[in-house]
Amino acid sequence: MDSTTQVITVLILLLALVISLIATQFIRRRRDLVALRSIPAYQSLPLLVGEAIEANRPVHLSFGSATLGGSSTLLALASAELFYQTAQRAAIGAVPPIVTVSDTTAIPLGQDTLRRAYRSRDLLERYPRGSVRWYPAGPRSLAFAAALTATLGDDRVANNVLVGSFGPELALVTEAAARRNQGVIAASDQLEGQAVAYAMSDQPLIGEEIFTAGAYLGESAAQTASVVTLDVLRWLLILAITVPTAIEVVNAITDGRLWQNIGNLARALGGQ
Amino acid sequence: MGRLGAAISTAIAIGIGLLTLIGLLAGDNVPLVNDIADFLLQLVVITTAITVLIGVVNLFSVHARRVGRRDTGWGYSLLVIVATLLVIVLVLLERAGALGGRPSTILFETVQISIESALAGLVLFALVYGAYRLTRRRLTWPTVLFVVVLLLLLLGALPLAGLGPLVSIRDWLMAVPVSAGARGILLGIALGTVVTGVRVLVGQDRSYRE
Repeated sequence: MDSTTQVITVLILLLALVISLIATQFIRRRRDLVALRSIPAYQSLPLLVGEAIEANRPVHLSFGSATLGGSSTLLALASAELFYQTAQRAAIGAVPPIVTVSDTTAIPLGQDTLRRAYRSRDLLERYPRGSVRWYPAGPRSLAFAAALTATLGDDRVANNVLVGSFGPELALVTEAAARRNQGVIAASDQLEGQAVAYAMSDQPLIGEEIFTAGAYLGESAAQTASVVTLDVLRWLLILAITVPTAIEVVNAITDGRLWQNIGNLARALGGQ
Repeated sequence: MGRLGAAISTAIAIGIGLLTLIGLLAGDNVPLVNDIADFLLQLVVITTAITVLIGVVNLFSVHARRVGRRDTGWGYSLLVIVATLLVIVLVLLERAGALGGRPSTILFETVQISIESALAGLVLFALVYGAYRLTRRRLTWPTVLFVVVLLLLLLGALPLAGLGPLVSIRDWLMAVPVSAGARGILLGIALGTVVTGVRVLVGQDRSYRE
């Protein structure tokens, strides 16, 4: 890592840390300080869980290939937070949620997530040990997707929350869910998987929305502060992109490069 | 976990997280911290290898339970158990030199890869169905835009003469709006990752506090 990258990394981390700590303190004192914008997926999640409980059928939660110890570690933790909130609501039902993973490192995370959810409801004796299932992924995760399509039918799943790391194979799972009239909330850190999630799920989560489950479904001030931190960082990033672009555009207009580039673009579109 | 246990696990997580981060950022400038970070990362690799055993135990226990309870599709679970045992025996015999060639590799290439290739073909139909379903479920401006762009991209990919302007539009779409949107999503995920990482580093993450 070169020195410029090191400095930028440290600056971003420090900035996120300072904003997060300040926002946490403010929100602890005044809960109504922050109004979160509505995210349909998080609004519909309690309804999906309620439907599953009434139908006496399980909710299916999947990490995909999100893993601990790799580049998707923090995604796995974010998914675990969403699954914790979902399992906490589903714990009062007779049928426990099913958690599927394609990487073995996510098995302990999934089991711990379910255990904590049941314990938070004082229902630890009903904690379902066999509800976390490892379906090994082949070279392209298609074997995992095939196993999930079978699970949706065999276990009479009511609704699905597929939030983790998925590729285009997510289409097989969402299509199988659609055929069985099962609801799907989906999101992925992979672009192909995210595109499929947007097109084929009932309620997609996009980009950083995956990381905000705790703030929307939980009650912790720290988690709400993380959304504020995310928003501040996003605005800073927007400024960092748009301000230099605006300066460059003004320079291009003043020295005539803009019209020259527009002419080039028109010629390219004309196929000349 | 009691309060003391939660405090200890939080302290360990914060300490190791910061040490690894400093080691990775400082690099060879601080050799001691860098060595400790390397050692911790090696521990992660070893732990990951151990979790494969957990996975195999999980696979057997889940499917054995399904067979025992005669759940729907229990026959497939039985097949999974038998196939897993057979492959383990095959690999053990192969490692012991009792079998010529690499039968486990041949098995993998002829069964696993063939099946996955067939499934990859099915993904196309699932995606087309997804586009159709999107237009039926919520016909909004973004949906119309999605379908129009999809058609343009597919038509632009046709190997026919006289589609020059369509090819140019497709190339521009891929290079500018698609690339910009993809970067936007990736930047959002990166920001979320940073914020989640900071929460873990300051001990605000729930997973090791409860």
